[in-house]
Amino acid sequence: MTPDPGGGTPTLGQRLRMNAAAITARASVRVKASFRERSWLVGETLFPFLTMSAFVLVYRGLNAPREYEGFVVLGGAMIAYWNNVIWGMASQFFWEREQGQLQLYLITPVSRMSILLGMALGGIVMTTTRAAAILIGGILLFHVELPLSRALPAFGLFVLTLGAAYSLGMILSSLFLLWGREVWHTATILQEPIYLFSGFYFPVSAMGVVIAIAGSLLPVTLGLDGIRQVFYGPAAHGLLPLPWIPPIQIALTAVFLYIAGVALRFMEELGKHEGRLTVRGD
Amino acid sequence: MRRLAQILRSSAWLGWQVEANWAEPALFLVYAIAKPLATTLILFFMVKIVSQGDATAETFRFIFIGNTFFLYVTEVLIGISWTVFRDREDFETLKYIYVAPLRLMPYLLGRAFTRVATATVGVIVALLFGRLALGLSIGVPGTNWLLVLAAVLLGLVGVLWLGIILAGTSLVVARHSMNLNEGLSGLFFLLCGAVFPLDVLPSWARSVSLALPFTYWLELLRRMLTGEGFAKSLAAMSDGDLWRVLVFATLGLCLAALVWFEWCERFARERGLIDWKTNY
Repeated sequence: MTPDPGGGTPTLGQRLRMNAAAITARASVRVKASFRERSWLVGETLFPFLTMSAFVLVYRGLNAPREYEGFVVLGGAMIAYWNNVIWGMASQFFWEREQGQLQLYLITPVSRMSILLGMALGGIVMTTTRAAAILIGGILLFHVELPLSRALPAFGLFVLTLGAAYSLGMILSSLFLLWGREVWHTATILQEPIYLFSGFYFPVSAMGVVIAIAGSLLPVTLGLDGIRQVFYGPAAHGLLPLPWIPPIQIALTAVFLYIAGVALRFMEELGKHEGRLTVRGD
Repeated sequence: MRRLAQILRSSAWLGWQVEANWAEPALFLVYAIAKPLATTLILFFMVKIVSQGDATAETFRFIFIGNTFFLYVTEVLIGISWTVFRDREDFETLKYIYVAPLRLMPYLLGRAFTRVATATVGVIVALLFGRLALGLSIGVPGTNWLLVLAAVLLGLVGVLWLGIILAGTSLVVARHSMNLNEGLSGLFFLLCGAVFPLDVLPSWARSVSLALPFTYWLELLRRMLTGEGFAKSLAAMSDGDLWRVLVFATLGLCLAALVWFEWCERFARERGLIDWKTNY
Protein backbone atom coordinates (compact mmCIF):
# COMPACT_ATOMS: atom_id res chain seq x y z
CA MET A 1 0.00 0.00 0.00
CA THR A 2 1.59 3.27 -1.15
CA PRO A 3 1.34 6.08 1.40
CA ASP A 4 -0.68 9.07 0.33
CA PRO A 5 1.84 11.97 0.14
CA GLY A 6 -1.02 14.41 0.33
CA GLY A 7 -1.95 13.08 3.76
CA GLY A 8 -5.67 12.99 3.00
CA THR A 9 -8.10 10.72 4.78
CA PRO A 10 -8.27 7.34 3.02
CA THR A 11 -11.53 6.53 1.31
CA LEU A 12 -13.67 3.61 2.43
CA GLY A 13 -12.36 1.54 -0.47
CA GLN A 14 -8.76 2.28 0.48
CA ARG A 15 -9.43 1.39 4.09
CA LEU A 16 -11.05 -1.88 3.09
CA ARG A 17 -8.10 -2.74 0.85
CA MET A 18 -5.61 -1.87 3.58
CA ASN A 19 -7.39 -4.04 6.09
CA ALA A 20 -7.75 -6.90 3.62
CA ALA A 21 -4.01 -6.65 2.93
CA ALA A 22 -3.30 -6.70 6.68
CA ILE A 23 -5.45 -9.79 7.15
CA THR A 24 -3.71 -11.57 4.28
CA ALA A 25 -0.24 -10.54 5.43
CA ARG A 26 -0.76 -11.62 9.04
CA ALA A 27 -2.35 -14.90 8.00
CA SER A 28 0.36 -15.73 5.49
CA VAL A 29 3.12 -15.17 8.07
CA ARG A 30 1.45 -17.67 10.33
CA VAL A 31 0.90 -20.25 7.61
CA LYS A 32 4.47 -20.01 6.30
CA ALA A 33 5.98 -20.09 9.80
CA SER A 34 4.02 -23.16 10.76
CA PHE A 35 5.54 -25.22 7.97
CA ARG A 36 9.04 -23.78 8.18
CA GLU A 37 9.99 -25.50 11.44
CA ARG A 38 9.41 -29.20 10.86
CA SER A 39 9.94 -30.17 14.48
CA TRP A 40 6.91 -28.02 15.43
CA LEU A 41 4.85 -29.94 12.94
CA VAL A 42 5.87 -33.18 14.63
CA GLY A 43 5.47 -31.69 18.09
CA GLU A 44 2.01 -30.35 17.41
CA THR A 45 0.63 -33.47 15.73
CA LEU A 46 2.38 -36.54 17.07
CA PHE A 47 2.56 -35.57 20.72
CA PRO A 48 -1.07 -34.49 21.22
CA PHE A 49 -1.91 -37.68 19.36
CA LEU A 50 -0.07 -39.68 22.03
CA THR A 51 -2.08 -38.12 24.84
CA MET A 52 -5.30 -38.59 22.90
CA SER A 53 -4.38 -42.22 22.32
CA ALA A 54 -4.03 -42.73 26.06
CA PHE A 55 -7.58 -41.47 26.56
CA VAL A 56 -8.86 -43.71 23.75
CA LEU A 57 -7.24 -46.64 25.54
CA VAL A 58 -8.97 -45.66 28.78
CA TYR A 59 -12.29 -46.35 27.06
CA ARG A 60 -10.89 -49.50 25.49
CA GLY A 61 -9.73 -50.68 28.90
CA LEU A 62 -13.24 -50.05 30.21
CA ASN A 63 -14.79 -52.01 27.31
CA ALA A 64 -16.80 -48.94 26.38
CA PRO A 65 -18.87 -48.85 23.17
CA ARG A 66 -16.72 -47.91 20.17
CA GLU A 67 -18.39 -44.54 19.66
CA TYR A 68 -16.75 -43.35 22.90
CA GLU A 69 -13.38 -43.70 21.21
CA GLY A 70 -14.82 -41.51 18.47
CA PHE A 71 -15.73 -38.90 21.12
CA VAL A 72 -12.08 -38.77 22.18
CA VAL A 73 -10.74 -38.50 18.63
CA LEU A 74 -13.15 -35.65 17.82
CA GLY A 75 -12.24 -34.01 21.12
CA GLY A 76 -8.53 -34.45 20.37
CA ALA A 77 -8.97 -32.65 17.05
CA MET A 78 -10.91 -29.85 18.72
CA ILE A 79 -8.21 -29.52 21.40
CA ALA A 80 -5.75 -28.59 18.65
CA TYR A 81 -7.95 -25.59 17.80
CA TRP A 82 -8.55 -24.63 21.41
CA ASN A 83 -4.81 -24.69 22.11
CA ASN A 84 -4.30 -22.51 19.06
CA VAL A 85 -6.89 -20.07 20.39
CA ILE A 86 -5.03 -19.92 23.72
CA TRP A 87 -1.41 -19.91 22.57
CA GLY A 88 -1.82 -18.45 19.08
CA MET A 89 -4.56 -15.86 19.65
CA ALA A 90 -4.99 -14.98 23.31
CA SER A 91 -1.26 -14.90 24.12
CA GLN A 92 -0.15 -13.49 20.79
CA PHE A 93 -0.19 -9.75 21.57
CA PHE A 94 1.69 -10.58 24.75
CA TRP A 95 4.42 -12.32 22.73
CA GLU A 96 4.47 -9.48 20.22
CA ARG A 97 4.99 -7.02 23.05
CA GLU A 98 7.76 -9.17 24.54
CA GLN A 99 9.53 -9.19 21.17
CA GLY A 100 9.03 -5.46 20.64
CA GLN A 101 6.67 -5.77 17.70
CA LEU A 102 3.45 -4.60 19.27
CA GLN A 103 4.20 -0.94 18.67
CA LEU A 104 4.65 -1.72 14.96
CA TYR A 105 1.07 -2.93 14.86
CA LEU A 106 -0.11 0.14 16.71
CA ILE A 107 1.47 2.60 14.25
CA THR A 108 -0.19 0.99 11.23
CA PRO A 109 -3.38 2.59 9.89
CA VAL A 110 -5.33 -0.68 10.03
CA SER A 111 -7.79 -2.03 12.54
CA ARG A 112 -6.36 -4.21 15.30
CA MET A 113 -9.27 -6.51 14.58
CA SER A 114 -7.91 -7.07 11.07
CA ILE A 115 -4.58 -8.15 12.51
CA LEU A 116 -6.35 -10.49 14.90
CA LEU A 117 -8.53 -11.82 12.10
CA GLY A 118 -5.39 -12.53 10.06
CA MET A 119 -3.92 -14.37 13.03
CA ALA A 120 -7.13 -16.36 13.40
CA LEU A 121 -7.33 -17.35 9.73
CA GLY A 122 -3.64 -18.26 9.59
CA GLY A 123 -4.02 -20.15 12.87
CA ILE A 124 -7.00 -22.08 11.54
CA VAL A 125 -5.10 -23.12 8.41
CA MET A 126 -2.08 -24.11 10.49
CA THR A 127 -4.12 -26.01 13.05
CA THR A 128 -6.22 -27.79 10.46
CA THR A 129 -3.17 -29.75 9.33
CA ARG A 130 -2.64 -30.85 12.95
CA ALA A 131 -6.29 -31.63 13.57
CA ALA A 132 -6.53 -33.55 10.29
CA ALA A 133 -3.53 -35.66 11.28
CA ILE A 134 -5.18 -36.45 14.62
CA LEU A 135 -8.48 -37.36 12.94
CA ILE A 136 -6.87 -39.48 10.24
CA GLY A 137 -4.57 -41.13 12.76
CA GLY A 138 -7.55 -41.90 15.00
CA ILE A 139 -9.52 -43.39 12.13
CA LEU A 140 -6.62 -45.49 10.85
CA LEU A 141 -5.08 -46.59 14.13
CA PHE A 142 -8.13 -47.00 16.33
CA HIS A 143 -10.66 -47.74 13.56
CA VAL A 144 -12.92 -44.97 14.82
CA GLU A 145 -16.05 -44.66 12.71
CA LEU A 146 -17.06 -41.23 11.45
CA PRO A 147 -19.97 -41.70 8.99
CA LEU A 148 -19.02 -39.71 5.87
CA SER A 149 -22.69 -39.24 4.99
CA ARG A 150 -22.98 -36.88 7.97
CA ALA A 151 -19.71 -35.05 7.33
CA LEU A 152 -21.29 -32.00 5.67
CA PRO A 153 -23.59 -30.91 8.53
CA ALA A 154 -20.78 -31.70 10.98
CA PHE A 155 -18.43 -29.50 8.96
CA GLY A 156 -20.97 -26.67 8.94
CA LEU A 157 -21.26 -26.82 12.69
CA PHE A 158 -17.50 -27.04 13.00
CA VAL A 159 -17.06 -23.82 10.97
CA LEU A 160 -19.56 -21.99 13.19
CA THR A 161 -17.74 -23.29 16.26
CA LEU A 162 -14.40 -22.04 15.02
CA GLY A 163 -15.90 -18.61 14.34
CA ALA A 164 -17.12 -18.34 17.91
CA ALA A 165 -13.99 -19.85 19.46
CA TYR A 166 -11.57 -17.53 17.64
CA SER A 167 -13.81 -14.54 18.46
CA LEU A 168 -13.38 -15.51 22.10
CA GLY A 169 -9.64 -15.66 21.45
CA MET A 170 -9.79 -12.04 20.25
CA ILE A 171 -11.33 -10.99 23.56
CA LEU A 172 -8.69 -12.88 25.51
CA SER A 173 -5.87 -11.34 23.48
CA SER A 174 -6.72 -7.89 24.79
CA LEU A 175 -6.91 -9.19 28.36
CA PHE A 176 -3.58 -10.98 28.05
CA LEU A 177 -2.02 -7.86 26.54
CA LEU A 178 -1.63 -6.09 29.85
CA TRP A 179 -0.42 -9.06 31.87
CA GLY A 180 3.09 -10.12 32.72
CA ARG A 181 4.31 -13.55 33.60
CA GLU A 182 0.86 -14.66 34.72
CA VAL A 183 0.13 -15.07 31.01
CA TRP A 184 2.04 -18.36 31.03
CA HIS A 185 0.10 -19.68 33.95
CA THR A 186 -3.25 -18.35 32.77
CA ALA A 187 -2.78 -19.96 29.38
CA THR A 188 -1.90 -23.20 31.13
CA ILE A 189 -4.94 -23.01 33.38
CA LEU A 190 -7.07 -22.61 30.28
CA GLN A 191 -6.01 -26.05 29.09
CA GLU A 192 -6.83 -29.08 31.29
CA PRO A 193 -9.64 -27.35 33.23
CA ILE A 194 -11.21 -26.35 29.90
CA TYR A 195 -10.71 -29.88 28.57
CA LEU A 196 -12.82 -30.89 31.56
CA PHE A 197 -15.58 -28.29 31.34
CA SER A 198 -15.87 -28.59 27.57
CA GLY A 199 -16.07 -32.37 27.66
CA PHE A 200 -13.25 -32.92 25.20
CA TYR A 201 -12.95 -36.56 26.23
CA PHE A 202 -16.50 -37.39 27.33
CA PRO A 203 -20.02 -36.10 26.68
CA VAL A 204 -20.36 -32.86 28.61
CA SER A 205 -23.81 -33.89 29.86
CA ALA A 206 -22.06 -36.39 32.17
CA MET A 207 -21.22 -33.48 34.51
CA GLY A 208 -24.86 -32.63 35.09
CA VAL A 209 -27.01 -29.99 33.42
CA VAL A 210 -25.95 -26.99 35.51
CA ILE A 211 -22.19 -27.45 35.05
CA ALA A 212 -22.64 -28.45 31.41
CA ILE A 213 -24.70 -25.34 30.64
CA ALA A 214 -22.09 -23.18 32.37
CA GLY A 215 -19.40 -24.91 30.29
CA SER A 216 -21.42 -24.15 27.18
CA LEU A 217 -20.50 -20.49 27.43
CA LEU A 218 -17.36 -21.72 25.72
CA PRO A 219 -18.18 -22.26 22.05
CA VAL A 220 -16.04 -25.38 21.79
CA THR A 221 -18.27 -27.13 24.34
CA LEU A 222 -21.49 -26.79 22.39
CA GLY A 223 -19.75 -27.21 19.05
CA LEU A 224 -18.20 -30.50 20.07
CA ASP A 225 -21.46 -31.65 21.64
CA GLY A 226 -23.30 -30.86 18.41
CA ILE A 227 -20.71 -32.51 16.14
CA ARG A 228 -20.88 -35.68 18.23
CA GLN A 229 -24.68 -35.62 17.97
CA VAL A 230 -24.42 -35.26 14.19
CA PHE A 231 -22.12 -38.28 13.94
CA TYR A 232 -23.46 -40.54 16.67
CA GLY A 233 -27.07 -39.46 17.30
CA PRO A 234 -28.53 -40.28 20.75
CA ALA A 235 -25.41 -42.30 21.68
CA ALA A 236 -23.61 -38.93 21.95
CA HIS A 237 -25.55 -38.10 25.14
CA GLY A 238 -26.13 -34.60 23.75
CA LEU A 239 -26.71 -31.68 26.06
CA LEU A 240 -28.94 -29.42 23.95
CA PRO A 241 -31.17 -30.35 21.00
CA LEU A 242 -29.04 -30.22 17.85
CA PRO A 243 -31.13 -27.55 16.02
CA TRP A 244 -30.49 -25.09 18.85
CA ILE A 245 -26.73 -25.21 18.54
CA PRO A 246 -26.05 -23.37 15.21
CA PRO A 247 -28.06 -20.24 16.17
CA ILE A 248 -26.37 -20.19 19.58
CA GLN A 249 -22.94 -20.37 17.95
CA ILE A 250 -23.82 -17.55 15.55
CA ALA A 251 -25.09 -15.43 18.45
CA LEU A 252 -21.93 -16.16 20.48
CA THR A 253 -19.78 -15.12 17.51
CA ALA A 254 -21.61 -11.81 17.15
CA VAL A 255 -21.46 -11.06 20.87
CA PHE A 256 -17.81 -12.07 21.21
CA LEU A 257 -16.76 -10.00 18.20
CA TYR A 258 -18.49 -6.93 19.60
CA ILE A 259 -16.91 -7.43 23.04
CA ALA A 260 -13.52 -8.06 21.43
CA GLY A 261 -13.67 -4.72 19.59
CA VAL A 262 -14.65 -2.82 22.74
CA ALA A 263 -12.10 -4.67 24.92
CA LEU A 264 -9.30 -4.10 22.46
CA ARG A 265 -9.90 -0.34 22.32
CA PHE A 266 -10.25 -0.13 26.09
CA MET A 267 -7.14 -2.16 26.84
CA GLU A 268 -5.09 -0.26 24.28
CA GLU A 269 -6.09 3.07 25.83
CA LEU A 270 -5.44 1.73 29.32
CA GLY A 271 -2.09 0.37 28.22
CA LYS A 272 -1.11 3.72 26.75
CA HIS A 273 -2.11 5.62 29.88
CA GLU A 274 -0.26 3.21 32.14
CA GLY A 275 2.71 2.91 29.79
CA ARG A 276 2.45 -0.85 29.66
CA LEU A 277 2.35 -1.46 25.93
CA THR A 278 6.11 -1.58 25.61
CA VAL A 279 6.97 -3.03 29.01
CA ARG A 280 8.39 -6.53 28.88
CA GLY A 281 6.73 -8.54 31.59
CA ASP A 282 8.54 -11.85 31.39
CA MET B 1 28.42 -32.05 51.23
CA ARG B 2 27.86 -28.73 52.96
CA ARG B 3 28.79 -26.88 49.82
CA LEU B 4 26.44 -29.09 47.78
CA ALA B 5 23.60 -28.40 50.22
CA GLN B 6 24.28 -24.68 49.90
CA ILE B 7 24.13 -24.85 46.10
CA LEU B 8 20.92 -26.87 46.16
CA ARG B 9 19.34 -24.45 48.63
CA SER B 10 20.32 -21.34 46.66
CA SER B 11 19.23 -22.69 43.30
CA ALA B 12 15.98 -24.00 44.80
CA TRP B 13 15.28 -20.51 46.17
CA LEU B 14 16.07 -19.02 42.76
CA GLY B 15 13.79 -21.56 41.09
CA TRP B 16 10.98 -20.63 43.45
CA GLN B 17 11.41 -16.93 42.66
CA VAL B 18 11.43 -17.58 38.91
CA GLU B 19 8.40 -19.82 39.00
CA ALA B 20 6.25 -18.24 41.64
CA ASN B 21 7.08 -14.63 42.48
CA TRP B 22 4.49 -13.29 40.04
CA ALA B 23 1.65 -14.26 42.37
CA GLU B 24 0.60 -14.63 45.98
CA PRO B 25 1.32 -18.16 47.26
CA ALA B 26 -2.42 -18.92 47.56
CA LEU B 27 -3.03 -17.93 43.94
CA PHE B 28 0.02 -19.90 42.84
CA LEU B 29 -1.41 -22.90 44.69
CA VAL B 30 -4.66 -22.60 42.74
CA TYR B 31 -2.71 -22.66 39.48
CA ALA B 32 -0.62 -25.60 40.71
CA ILE B 33 -3.57 -27.81 41.60
CA ALA B 34 -5.87 -26.91 38.71
CA LYS B 35 -4.26 -29.30 36.26
CA PRO B 36 -4.16 -32.45 38.43
CA LEU B 37 -7.69 -31.89 39.68
CA ALA B 38 -9.03 -31.29 36.18
CA THR B 39 -7.34 -34.41 34.82
CA THR B 40 -8.67 -36.45 37.74
CA LEU B 41 -12.20 -35.25 37.05
CA ILE B 42 -11.89 -35.89 33.31
CA LEU B 43 -11.03 -39.51 34.05
CA PHE B 44 -13.76 -39.70 36.68
CA PHE B 45 -16.43 -38.60 34.22
CA MET B 46 -15.04 -40.90 31.52
CA VAL B 47 -15.43 -43.87 33.83
CA LYS B 48 -18.77 -42.64 35.11
CA ILE B 49 -20.36 -42.20 31.69
CA VAL B 50 -19.26 -45.66 30.60
CA SER B 51 -20.05 -47.57 33.75
CA GLN B 52 -23.06 -45.50 34.85
CA GLY B 53 -21.68 -45.72 38.37
CA ASP B 54 -21.09 -49.48 38.62
CA ALA B 55 -17.37 -49.65 38.04
CA THR B 56 -16.46 -46.23 39.38
CA ALA B 57 -15.03 -47.21 42.75
CA GLU B 58 -12.87 -50.15 41.69
CA THR B 59 -11.79 -49.33 38.15
CA PHE B 60 -11.43 -45.66 38.73
CA ARG B 61 -9.18 -46.20 41.76
CA PHE B 62 -6.46 -47.77 39.63
CA ILE B 63 -6.72 -45.09 36.97
CA PHE B 64 -6.75 -42.38 39.61
CA ILE B 65 -3.58 -43.59 41.34
CA GLY B 66 -1.67 -43.94 38.07
CA ASN B 67 -2.73 -40.52 36.84
CA THR B 68 -2.03 -38.81 40.15
CA PHE B 69 1.53 -40.05 40.59
CA PHE B 70 2.32 -39.55 36.92
CA LEU B 71 2.13 -35.84 37.69
CA TYR B 72 5.73 -36.13 38.95
CA VAL B 73 6.83 -37.27 35.52
CA THR B 74 5.14 -34.46 33.59
CA GLU B 75 6.12 -31.68 36.00
CA VAL B 76 9.67 -32.62 36.92
CA LEU B 77 10.83 -34.18 33.67
CA ILE B 78 9.88 -31.19 31.56
CA GLY B 79 10.76 -28.67 34.27
CA ILE B 80 14.48 -29.47 34.40
CA SER B 81 15.09 -29.25 30.67
CA TRP B 82 12.92 -26.14 30.43
CA THR B 83 15.26 -24.49 32.95
CA VAL B 84 18.12 -24.85 30.48
CA PHE B 85 16.19 -23.11 27.69
CA ARG B 86 14.87 -20.35 29.95
CA ASP B 87 18.27 -19.60 31.53
CA ARG B 88 20.14 -19.87 28.25
CA GLU B 89 17.81 -17.90 25.99
CA ASP B 90 15.24 -15.87 27.94
CA PHE B 91 17.24 -14.70 30.95
CA GLU B 92 20.66 -15.26 29.29
CA THR B 93 22.08 -16.29 32.65
CA LEU B 94 23.28 -19.82 31.96
CA LYS B 95 26.77 -18.56 31.14
CA TYR B 96 27.04 -16.93 34.56
CA ILE B 97 26.83 -20.33 36.23
CA TYR B 98 30.32 -20.88 34.84
CA VAL B 99 31.76 -17.80 36.50
CA ALA B 100 30.30 -18.86 39.84
CA PRO B 101 31.92 -21.50 42.07
CA LEU B 102 29.40 -24.25 41.32
CA ARG B 103 28.69 -27.02 38.84
CA LEU B 104 25.77 -26.97 36.46
CA MET B 105 24.22 -30.31 37.41
CA PRO B 106 23.65 -29.60 41.13
CA TYR B 107 22.33 -26.19 40.13
CA LEU B 108 19.76 -27.81 37.82
CA LEU B 109 18.77 -30.33 40.49
CA GLY B 110 18.20 -27.45 42.89
CA ARG B 111 16.16 -25.59 40.30
CA ALA B 112 14.02 -28.71 39.96
CA PHE B 113 12.98 -28.39 43.60
CA THR B 114 10.13 -25.97 42.81
CA ARG B 115 8.71 -28.39 40.28
CA VAL B 116 9.04 -31.27 42.76
CA ALA B 117 7.30 -29.18 45.41
CA THR B 118 4.54 -28.09 43.02
CA ALA B 119 4.01 -31.66 41.86
CA THR B 120 3.96 -32.89 45.47
CA VAL B 121 1.29 -30.35 46.37
CA GLY B 122 -0.66 -31.41 43.28
CA VAL B 123 -0.37 -35.10 44.20
CA ILE B 124 -1.40 -34.51 47.84
CA VAL B 125 -4.37 -32.34 46.87
CA ALA B 126 -5.45 -34.86 44.22
CA LEU B 127 -5.20 -37.73 46.73
CA LEU B 128 -7.22 -35.75 49.30
CA PHE B 129 -9.75 -34.86 46.62
CA GLY B 130 -10.03 -38.50 45.62
CA ARG B 131 -10.50 -39.57 49.22
CA LEU B 132 -12.83 -36.82 50.43
CA ALA B 133 -14.74 -35.70 47.35
CA LEU B 134 -14.82 -38.85 45.25
CA GLY B 135 -14.98 -41.29 48.18
CA LEU B 136 -12.06 -43.44 47.00
CA SER B 137 -10.28 -45.59 49.55
CA ILE B 138 -6.58 -44.80 49.25
CA GLY B 139 -4.67 -47.54 51.00
CA VAL B 140 -5.77 -50.85 52.49
CA PRO B 141 -5.40 -52.16 56.06
CA GLY B 142 -2.01 -53.72 55.21
CA THR B 143 -0.56 -50.64 53.52
CA ASN B 144 2.87 -49.72 54.86
CA TRP B 145 2.92 -45.95 54.41
CA LEU B 146 6.65 -45.68 54.95
CA LEU B 147 7.19 -48.11 52.08
CA VAL B 148 4.77 -46.09 49.94
CA LEU B 149 6.81 -42.99 50.70
CA ALA B 150 10.02 -44.84 49.84
CA ALA B 151 8.52 -46.03 46.54
CA VAL B 152 7.38 -42.52 45.65
CA LEU B 153 10.84 -41.14 46.45
CA LEU B 154 12.59 -43.86 44.47
CA GLY B 155 10.42 -43.14 41.44
CA LEU B 156 11.00 -39.44 41.88
CA VAL B 157 14.77 -39.95 41.95
CA GLY B 158 14.45 -41.87 38.68
CA VAL B 159 12.42 -39.01 37.18
CA LEU B 160 15.07 -36.50 38.32
CA TRP B 161 17.89 -38.44 36.66
CA LEU B 162 15.89 -38.79 33.48
CA GLY B 163 15.29 -35.04 33.71
CA ILE B 164 19.07 -34.53 33.89
CA ILE B 165 19.48 -36.65 30.76
CA LEU B 166 16.98 -34.42 28.97
CA ALA B 167 18.64 -31.29 30.38
CA GLY B 168 21.96 -32.50 28.94
CA THR B 169 20.27 -32.98 25.60
CA SER B 170 18.75 -29.51 25.89
CA LEU B 171 22.23 -28.02 26.21
CA VAL B 172 23.12 -29.18 22.72
CA VAL B 173 19.84 -28.68 20.85
CA ALA B 174 17.81 -25.63 19.84
CA ARG B 175 14.96 -24.31 21.92
CA HIS B 176 12.19 -25.68 19.73
CA SER B 177 13.41 -29.18 20.58
CA MET B 178 11.48 -28.60 23.80
CA ASN B 179 8.67 -30.20 21.85
CA LEU B 180 10.56 -33.46 21.98
CA ASN B 181 10.83 -33.32 25.77
CA GLU B 182 7.12 -32.67 26.09
CA GLY B 183 6.48 -35.46 23.62
CA LEU B 184 8.54 -37.84 25.72
CA SER B 185 6.26 -37.11 28.64
CA GLY B 186 3.23 -37.87 26.42
CA LEU B 187 4.90 -41.05 25.26
CA PHE B 188 5.46 -42.21 28.84
CA PHE B 189 1.85 -41.32 29.70
CA LEU B 190 0.73 -43.61 26.91
CA LEU B 191 3.22 -46.43 27.31
CA CYS B 192 3.39 -46.68 31.11
CA GLY B 193 -0.31 -47.41 31.32
CA ALA B 194 -0.81 -44.46 33.64
CA VAL B 195 -4.56 -44.37 32.98
CA PHE B 196 -5.39 -47.76 31.48
CA PRO B 197 -4.28 -51.39 31.94
CA LEU B 198 -1.20 -52.27 29.89
CA ASP B 199 -3.06 -55.23 28.52
CA VAL B 200 -5.03 -53.09 26.05
CA LEU B 201 -1.81 -52.01 24.32
CA PRO B 202 -0.79 -53.88 21.17
CA SER B 203 1.90 -56.46 21.92
CA TRP B 204 4.76 -54.42 20.40
CA ALA B 205 3.81 -51.38 22.51
CA ARG B 206 3.51 -53.58 25.59
CA SER B 207 7.08 -54.75 25.04
CA VAL B 208 8.24 -51.12 24.99
CA SER B 209 6.14 -50.44 28.06
CA LEU B 210 7.79 -53.28 29.97
CA ALA B 211 11.18 -51.68 29.27
CA LEU B 212 10.20 -48.44 31.04
CA PRO B 213 10.86 -48.08 34.78
CA PHE B 214 7.77 -45.94 35.37
CA THR B 215 5.55 -48.86 34.33
CA TYR B 216 6.83 -50.82 37.33
CA TRP B 217 6.71 -47.78 39.57
CA LEU B 218 3.01 -47.15 38.92
CA GLU B 219 2.16 -50.85 39.28
CA LEU B 220 4.00 -50.99 42.62
CA LEU B 221 2.18 -47.92 43.92
CA ARG B 222 -1.17 -49.35 42.81
CA ARG B 223 -0.48 -52.62 44.60
CA MET B 224 0.56 -50.83 47.77
CA LEU B 225 -2.45 -48.52 47.79
CA THR B 226 -5.16 -50.94 46.63
CA GLY B 227 -3.79 -54.31 47.64
CA GLU B 228 -4.26 -55.57 44.07
CA GLY B 229 -2.39 -55.45 40.79
CA PHE B 230 -3.73 -53.64 37.75
CA ALA B 231 -1.73 -54.99 34.80
CA LYS B 232 -2.16 -58.67 33.98
CA SER B 233 1.16 -58.45 32.13
CA LEU B 234 2.91 -57.86 35.47
CA ALA B 235 0.85 -60.33 37.51
CA ALA B 236 3.67 -62.88 37.57
CA MET B 237 5.99 -60.42 39.27
CA SER B 238 6.03 -60.16 43.04
CA ASP B 239 6.27 -56.84 44.86
CA GLY B 240 9.93 -57.67 45.55
CA ASP B 241 10.53 -58.11 41.82
CA LEU B 242 9.00 -54.70 41.16
CA TRP B 243 11.21 -53.12 43.82
CA ARG B 244 14.30 -54.74 42.31
CA VAL B 245 13.46 -53.54 38.81
CA LEU B 246 12.85 -50.06 40.14
CA VAL B 247 16.10 -49.91 42.13
CA PHE B 248 18.24 -51.19 39.26
CA ALA B 249 16.48 -48.92 36.74
CA THR B 250 17.08 -45.90 38.98
CA LEU B 251 20.76 -46.80 39.35
CA GLY B 252 20.97 -47.24 35.58
CA LEU B 253 19.35 -43.87 34.98
CA CYS B 254 21.74 -42.25 37.47
CA LEU B 255 24.77 -43.70 35.74
CA ALA B 256 23.47 -42.83 32.28
CA ALA B 257 22.62 -39.29 33.41
CA LEU B 258 26.09 -38.67 34.87
CA VAL B 259 27.86 -39.87 31.73
CA TRP B 260 25.47 -38.26 29.23
CA PHE B 261 25.24 -34.90 30.98
CA GLU B 262 29.02 -34.59 31.25
CA TRP B 263 29.41 -35.38 27.55
CA CYS B 264 26.68 -32.91 26.56
CA GLU B 265 28.11 -30.18 28.78
CA ARG B 266 31.60 -30.63 27.34
CA PHE B 267 30.21 -30.66 23.79
CA ALA B 268 28.17 -27.50 24.46
CA ARG B 269 31.23 -25.68 25.80
CA GLU B 270 33.44 -26.80 22.93
CA ARG B 271 30.89 -25.63 20.37
CA GLY B 272 30.06 -22.39 22.14
CA LEU B 273 26.45 -23.36 22.81
CA ILE B 274 26.24 -22.19 26.42
CA ASP B 275 24.97 -18.74 25.38
CA TRP B 276 23.24 -19.95 22.21
CA LYS B 277 20.04 -18.11 21.25
CA THR B 278 17.63 -20.03 19.09
CA ASN B 279 14.33 -18.36 19.95
CA TYR B 280 12.19 -17.15 17.08
